[in-house]
Amino acid sequence: MKTVVFAAVMAVLLLYVWERVDIVRVGYHVERLKSKKVALQRERDELRVKVSALTAPERIARAATEQLGMMPPRQGQVVLVRVEPTAPADAGPPMPELRLAKSEVGGRMP
Amino acid sequence: MTAKDPQRLRRIVVAFVLMLGFAGVLCRLFTLQVLQAAELTVRADRQHRKTVTVEGGRGGIYDRQGKVLAINMDVPSVFGVPTSLENPSGVARDLARVLHVRADEIERKLRQERSFVWIARKLDPEQGRSLESLSLEGIGTVMEGRRFYPKGPLLAHVLGFAGMDGQGLEGIERRYESYLHGEKQLVVLQRDALGRTVFPKGLNEQAPSAGHNVTLTIDEVIQYIAEKELDEAVATTRAKGGVAVVMEPRTGAILALAISPKFDPNAVRAVSPDRWRNRALTDAYEPGSTMKVFIAAAALEEKVMEPGTLIHGENGQMTVAGTVIHDHEKSGWITFSQVIQKSSNIGAAKTAMALGEERVYRYIRAFGFGEKSEIDLPGEAAGLVKEPKNWGRRSLASMAIGQEIGVTALQLVTAVSAVANGGWLMKPYVVSDVRDGKGQVAAQNNPQVRRRPISAETAKTLTGILEGVVTNGTGAKAAVPGYRVAGKTGTAQKIDPQTGAYSSTLFVGSFTGFVPAENPRLAIVVIIDEPHAEAWGGVIAAPVFRRIAEQALPYLGVSSQAPVKLALAMVGDPTP
Repeated sequence: MKTVVFAAVMAVLLLYVWERVDIVRVGYHVERLKSKKVALQRERDELRVKVSALTAPERIARAATEQLGMMPPRQGQVVLVRVEPTAPADAGPPMPELRLAKSEVGGRMP
Repeated sequence: MTAKDPQRLRRIVVAFVLMLGFAGVLCRLFTLQVLQAAELTVRADRQHRKTVTVEGGRGGIYDRQGKVLAINMDVPSVFGVPTSLENPSGVARDLARVLHVRADEIERKLRQERSFVWIARKLDPEQGRSLESLSLEGIGTVMEGRRFYPKGPLLAHVLGFAGMDGQGLEGIERRYESYLHGEKQLVVLQRDALGRTVFPKGLNEQAPSAGHNVTLTIDEVIQYIAEKELDEAVATTRAKGGVAVVMEPRTGAILALAISPKFDPNAVRAVSPDRWRNRALTDAYEPGSTMKVFIAAAALEEKVMEPGTLIHGENGQMTVAGTVIHDHEKSGWITFSQVIQKSSNIGAAKTAMALGEERVYRYIRAFGFGEKSEIDLPGEAAGLVKEPKNWGRRSLASMAIGQEIGVTALQLVTAVSAVANGGWLMKPYVVSDVRDGKGQVAAQNNPQVRRRPISAETAKTLTGILEGVVTNGTGAKAAVPGYRVAGKTGTAQKIDPQTGAYSSTLFVGSFTGFVPAENPRLAIVVIIDEPHAEAWGGVIAAPVFRRIAEQALPYLGVSSQAPVKLALAMVGDPTP
């Protein structure tokens, strides 16, 4: 009987110690994950700044005109097209307005 | 003595020694846990706990399409511990290679008798990584939030900038500081014997909330177009500077606000503080002939004039209060419309005289001149409109031709928007909304009418006259192929600071107008300050108006013709 009680008390004590140790271990793990999260957030912010700098209109315009030989559309090269469905009115919602860029002056575009 | 006695004695001695040992331990325990408890608890806390101020990141600034214009990023700052350095000159040499600063400067810092010294703050992330790979002893890094303006000088005068400690100093950064800055919070960290942070037990840990995000009414692309065209005009005319403001006439939302010369908010100290000023709203200037638009509006509204009313041009010369008013083009009888289209000073002066002092003053004030427009940007000037009791004998005529009055570019574009939108004077604004980290709206700006200076009918008649300025008047160079443009040129002499009189060499050339005239989407003002050689607003500012409009209108999907109608046969049911 005595042995059983002793074993039970020891088991409870060991469980308690194991639990404390595990809390500390998990605590360190949580801290490691937190610093990893911060590092990833920093990387995300750095990439956001880079994306934003690379998509600056000035850079895009320079690349388009100097490297790709593009130019702003001239008058008449952008045509607004309103699409009107011929199907019956109850065939579905009306089609939205479409905007098409169309080159009407072939040969002038590089 | 029996044989057991020596054993018994030994046991007693051992027990006694052990008891003595335990008594010693108990005594020490009593001293530590009871007598010195308070003092030692404080010391332990100092070693295990560290209190740091944690600040939520500063909110970002975005354009109307959600493109990033200003954002915060954690970057390394490097410090030295001079007292723990053995070879300061070697460390300084290594640092100098990464930081691109002189080694002797760093060495001077490292030789100070101090335990902490900043070597460089807020470096580029790349430099931080190079420093880490060096792993120098006695040199450490901490992360600090740095403000980045990834688009460089784009929109710098509106965005403003934040200081080294992250507080907004100019522009939106300053005006919306209370929303943008992150929450500051004191956090107690538990550390183990190695200085590592231990996960706090039982602490309800919550990170401080980040600053709110601000979305502007500005469109990055239109802003770029305005800046590019303005810079080009300022460069070709060798002008001192220039301003271009693009507004949505129906709402008062600013789509672009360009100032030349520019500055880079990432390196504000590289230019003089004078360059930071948003001159579209801080600087008032004499507008010259663009003022005739508002005199004409008053005359039409008060039915003093009609487009066909005949006015005599006095053959280009008229004496008012002992001074002579000249016209650029000599004329006899001309219609009221032609007065505006040919920009006749004499015709405008006669119109103002027909209206009288009280009505001219009332309408000028009604169009928002002489008062702040209450735009959500800091540093706005009210301009200068004298009260009639302070007017001289020539003042009425002078005001009609845009002299003796100081207006800002912002006031001018707001006033011309009132003509464009059928008579409503709107409150200009640059921020559309402010949202917290979860996307909930914390503040919002909606179009707001300040007052109604003129009726829709007057606005329509005036628009017709202003269209004539572009089709057969002084503003021909503002014509945008495929669109109907209404506007007015202005060429104002500047006061020579040395003589105090109007200079014959210093001018301000301007154009203010809106497009398409029948359903205005853009109101634009362009001002070129002190151009060299050619100074006429119709020659230097009107082409800038045209180039901004002809690029911005297709971008906004405003067609130059009626939409082509296509009839598409729907084949089958489009839904699966």
